[in-house]
Amino acid sequence: MSEHRISMTINGLRHVSNAEARVSLSDFLRGNAGCTGVHIGCEHGVCGACTVIVDGLAVRGCLMLAVQAEGAEVTTVEGLAAGDGTLHPVQQALYDEFALQCGFCTPGVVMTLAALTAPGSKANEQQLLAAMSGHICRCTGYQGIRRAAKKLAAAPAGEQP
Amino acid sequence: MKPAPFDYLAPVTVEEACAALAEAGGGATLLAGGQTLLPLLNLRMSQPFIVIDLNRVAALKGISRGQACTRIGAMTRQCEAIASAELARALPVLVKAVKHVGHHQTRNRGTVGGSIALGEPAAELPATAVALDAIIEIVSVRGKRETAAGEFYLGPYMTTLEPDELVTAIRFPDWPQGHITLFREVAQRPGDFALVGLVGALVVEDGKVARAGLAWFGMGPTPIRARSAERMLLGQPLEAIEANAVAERAVADTAPFDDHHASAEYRRTVGARIFARTLREAFPAKEAA
Amino acid sequence: MNAPGVGTGRYIGQRVRRKEDPRLLTGRGQFVDDIVVPGMLHAAFTRSPIARGRIVSIDTAIARDVPGVHAVYTQADLAHFKVDMINFYLVSPAVETTPLANGRVAYVGEPVALVIADSRHIAEDAASLVEVQYADETPVVSIAQARSGAPVHPATTSNISAQMGEEEPDEELEALLRDAPHLITHQVVHQRISQSPMETRGVLAVRDGAEELTLYITCQSPHLVARWVSLALGLRQTAIRVIAKDVGGGFGLKNHPWKEEVSVILAVLAFGRPLKWIEDRYENLIGANQSREAEMVLRTAFDAEGRVLASHGDYSCNNGAYPQLEECNIAVHMFLWAAYKMPRYGFLTRGWYTNTVGLAAYRGPWAMESLIRETALDVAARRIGIDPIEIRRRNLVRLQDQPTLSCMSIPIEDITPAECLEQLVQYFDVAAFRKEQAAARKAGRYLGLGIATYIEPTGAAGSIVTMTGELAQVRIEPTGRVTATMSTHSQGHGTATTMAQIIADRLGVPYEDVTVFEGDSSRGGFSPGAAGSRQGVVAGGAAIKASELLADKVRLLAGHLLETSPDLVRIENGMAHVAGKPELSRSLRSIAEIAYGEPDRLPPGLEPGLEAQYRYQPPPMTLASAANACVVEVDAETGMVKILRWISAEDCGTAINPAVVEGQIAGGLAQAIGMVLLEEMTFDAAGNPTAATYKDYLLPAISDIPDFEFVHCSTPSKSVGGMRGVGEGGAIIGAPTLVNAIADALAPFGEIPLRLPLTPTRLLSLIEGRDLAAKVEHPQPEEASAATAAADTPATVPAPVDQPVPAARAPEPAAPSGPQIDGDWKMVLSTPVGPQAMVGHFETDGTALSGYLKSEQGSMGFTGIVEGNRLKFDLKVDKPMKITLKYDITIEGARLTGKVKMGIFGTAKLVGERG
Repeated sequence: MSEHRISMTINGLRHVSNAEARVSLSDFLRGNAGCTGVHIGCEHGVCGACTVIVDGLAVRGCLMLAVQAEGAEVTTVEGLAAGDGTLHPVQQALYDEFALQCGFCTPGVVMTLAALTAPGSKANEQQLLAAMSGHICRCTGYQGIRRAAKKLAAAPAGEQP
Repeated sequence: MKPAPFDYLAPVTVEEACAALAEAGGGATLLAGGQTLLPLLNLRMSQPFIVIDLNRVAALKGISRGQACTRIGAMTRQCEAIASAELARALPVLVKAVKHVGHHQTRNRGTVGGSIALGEPAAELPATAVALDAIIEIVSVRGKRETAAGEFYLGPYMTTLEPDELVTAIRFPDWPQGHITLFREVAQRPGDFALVGLVGALVVEDGKVARAGLAWFGMGPTPIRARSAERMLLGQPLEAIEANAVAERAVADTAPFDDHHASAEYRRTVGARIFARTLREAFPAKEAA
Repeated sequence: MNAPGVGTGRYIGQRVRRKEDPRLLTGRGQFVDDIVVPGMLHAAFTRSPIARGRIVSIDTAIARDVPGVHAVYTQADLAHFKVDMINFYLVSPAVETTPLANGRVAYVGEPVALVIADSRHIAEDAASLVEVQYADETPVVSIAQARSGAPVHPATTSNISAQMGEEEPDEELEALLRDAPHLITHQVVHQRISQSPMETRGVLAVRDGAEELTLYITCQSPHLVARWVSLALGLRQTAIRVIAKDVGGGFGLKNHPWKEEVSVILAVLAFGRPLKWIEDRYENLIGANQSREAEMVLRTAFDAEGRVLASHGDYSCNNGAYPQLEECNIAVHMFLWAAYKMPRYGFLTRGWYTNTVGLAAYRGPWAMESLIRETALDVAARRIGIDPIEIRRRNLVRLQDQPTLSCMSIPIEDITPAECLEQLVQYFDVAAFRKEQAAARKAGRYLGLGIATYIEPTGAAGSIVTMTGELAQVRIEPTGRVTATMSTHSQGHGTATTMAQIIADRLGVPYEDVTVFEGDSSRGGFSPGAAGSRQGVVAGGAAIKASELLADKVRLLAGHLLETSPDLVRIENGMAHVAGKPELSRSLRSIAEIAYGEPDRLPPGLEPGLEAQYRYQPPPMTLASAANACVVEVDAETGMVKILRWISAEDCGTAINPAVVEGQIAGGLAQAIGMVLLEEMTFDAAGNPTAATYKDYLLPAISDIPDFEFVHCSTPSKSVGGMRGVGEGGAIIGAPTLVNAIADALAPFGEIPLRLPLTPTRLLSLIEGRDLAAKVEHPQPEEASAATAAADTPATVPAPVDQPVPAARAPEPAAPSGPQIDGDWKMVLSTPVGPQAMVGHFETDGTALSGYLKSEQGSMGFTGIVEGNRLKFDLKVDKPMKITLKYDITIEGARLTGKVKMGIFGTAKLVGERG
């Protein structure tokens, strides 16, 4: 068993701590970095609740070892809203569209949409909806998520829908 | 669902990776994209002593032109394959197949080589490699070797890859511009493994099929090349091809199974239908008499 | 799309944004796994790998020695706590139910030992090292097996866990059925469902000294959990506080604690340090109580015009081994025909014990009644030759027929399914669809329209010991802000939003000024929380009454301060105004400051402060109604179903927040779509769950769910505020609506055998007119695999082998010297990916076993143990990944049977003969 000193940038701040090789990125973000907004729903890559942005791409936090994120730029749901509490456009769209109920799957949904609407990687409506098929929501029947995704696809990159 | 303990190595060269693999003597598992391995580790179905992470081996990444072929480094991520203008030009059916692998989020990590080396029988990429006569480049401390994708797969998750070997790249021979691409998969949800799928390409010269490469996925313990169907197609004028008859022949080559999601007979029945449908949509094949 | 009458006030009826969302959207929710307390340790369970057997021995020594492990408990260690695993009705179970397995195991996944360790990782390491020896017994898995199999629980004489109704035929009823112009016999086989809340179960138990216990637990009501734990564990002297701020879905699974949560709490009482257990998804899919799994036959007699004459239902459900409620689902029969003019109904209903994980509730636990009735009505309509809408019009109880009594003596006073149906068909042009359908059919496309209607009892209070009224405590703080502590609880329901809307509306303050606290048993009063679509009805009424009491007090005080009659005081937007005198306005803050801080300025005898509370007791039962329609296309080449449109016309009375109402309906409909098309918790013959991950247990994704269209009928109920409840309706009416649409689409091929889910294999079987799931012998493929095709050598893929597991093996005379084991055996392993042929070579030496397995892929050696005629050995497969295959083989004469555990691939059957 190997223990590693792992450093990465989490939500813009440098984080350094130790973890065993077997610790997943999602467990590391929750346990070591205190990012409890990273939710663990299935730990086998299907539900999408643990989705975070690593070096600009939305990935499953449970399907990456923390040690693999050495040197990476990681963004979690805690890192999106402005310091004054202003919601990120993705968060605002989901808020406006009643896209969540229990909110457990929500951080993952937020991160995929945030990655795909970031300036420079703006996806179209069909791509956004296709990417949403990588998230399981047991509460909403996806109605608000679909509305929010369409709204975000229609808005210019990085702008409020 | 936490993995059993293991050691972790992240070599930066192919040589280091091979040496680590050889030294582990079968106790190591290679970590490529991890989108299949990590679930198995989390479920403790896989309990290696050492995980050798290939993600820092730069030489395994990238798409390049070779001699009459396109070479895809094994660690090329699926999202990179989708974004590649080179692949879109040379191997449009491969790009289509990659788009069906898992979900957006898993394709951001998952690799082309990882999927091809794993050998899930219902996966898209192994069948694409078999259909398109891809060559798999393999290396170990014992040296380099190559194998045709068609000879690589032995059974579910079983390949000719030895415990000390790793796949470095997959070479896809060129198909001429304007070739016909064939791809269809029947799955219950996007991102699921196919219940039935087929992938392939045809070259038409002078109105006749001059070259054919077709393979099934989800239709047996390995990807299955539809050889007899190919033989029926070769040399045939397009308008003389009876799609249903070819499809029946193609299904005869398969050995599907019952599982949680569909029965073998479902797979056979639907396989024939979608094969015929795909042919008919690709060119004006003859309707059944 | 919203019908008039939805909005009744400034906030009630408005689509205001949810108060819960900003924290949940920014990762600041507080779910149980987010709580960390000093000294906290982690738990993991060792679980039974077999469905039925005796525990011969448990050895925890190796597990205890793992560094970082603090304790390993078995039932023997916890037996001194006298636990009564009571049900939702607070009644003791009929069969002995212990937190950890007590000498026997009765389902795969049953917790046998609990490990306490520094981390979850270490706890799992140690849990896998607890050595348990089992003496296997043949399990009873299905309802059919339960009828004739040995009792699951040794102390009982049969597997019937509960039974009601008449076993003997009622001759009068039988005659009505027999002699009717039309008799429709309709069967539904409903699969087992995993509730699958996205947050799995979990608990963090903290013992704060000898007399205090704090539980952070994901649940549906902290109050009910506190009550349940106090009673079940006999902790009458202990101050129990249960906290569950955010809960990631419940759906019936989290009504009250069960084996695992109780084990954790006991472990904390025994060990002392705070202990957290978070169920992982694998545990959740195999070990958490599941739901549904029932079979029903409904016989219904119709007259020549399609009017119902009489009906009989025979219902059975698979309760599993330790259900949270040992029941036979009497509600199915109570409500089956309640909305219809059914003269006579008889039934037999039974619950069966089996060696599967026990059942718990799931959204609309009695939903079978709507499923079987509404699908039977469509079968009848096709048979009799009338329109499915018409058959409902002829039979539904309309408003003008009410009040009336149902055939099961339920008072029917203000239900509106017929009225919902009329609104639905006004919205949806049925005639245009029929034209489109006919045209499509000519083109070989199969479109179908499904219609269903239903009623649902909601807002129950008083009929069941735990189903009580709700308490609202509302106060205007000295700051002028409004705070409410409610007995409600949200697992996504948004009660902090809807209750704030009501309070803001009825108190006359801005919505933004109201904060609702819930989710903590130290706040508010007892209520069962989310159960039976009740919170909107009951807590809504409580919030209205408490707000009105508080508003009265504000008016009284304001009138006193402004020297005017309280009757002239109006409260609007946080200000108290006097009609016609705008200069006489006072902010609630200034009034509150006086109310709390200057008691001498209050009218004589008025209690200081601005606080009010009310416990609302609604009518015993409220009923919600709905009619739904959906349009599907079935691909006749693949059996795949595409939902093209879905319209919900519901009557949930006053909709406090239409967006929340629609969210509840949509979520329920999505779960219904999952039930009809995707989800299935299956077991193999040995009782192993074979859908143990989300790769095999298919939940609906966004692509499976259409855009729902809503028609709100909104007939106020007789409860205060007029709400009718909406939590479960979608999950109930969705299934028959979708089944009817698929059946309509496929009517040219005949009636669908109604075994859920309607998988592509099952639907294509109907279309093809042959059973595609049946084994078919096919010639060996000419070129079976790419490898052999290329090498042009004979196929290596074995032909399918149809070798059913012998249910009851015929005893064979044993050789005097014991079974002959040594030598070669020809074996076929049925793996999830097809049969694999191999040769097994065994050599025994006393109880030691050695040998090898040889197949096309090569040969692998092993060593193992022999127990009489049983061989056990493990085989580690290295390529392409490391998997341990656990072989368990029984040899009888020249025959060999067995099973091989292959981790998430489940267990594979092995059969063989002398080679």
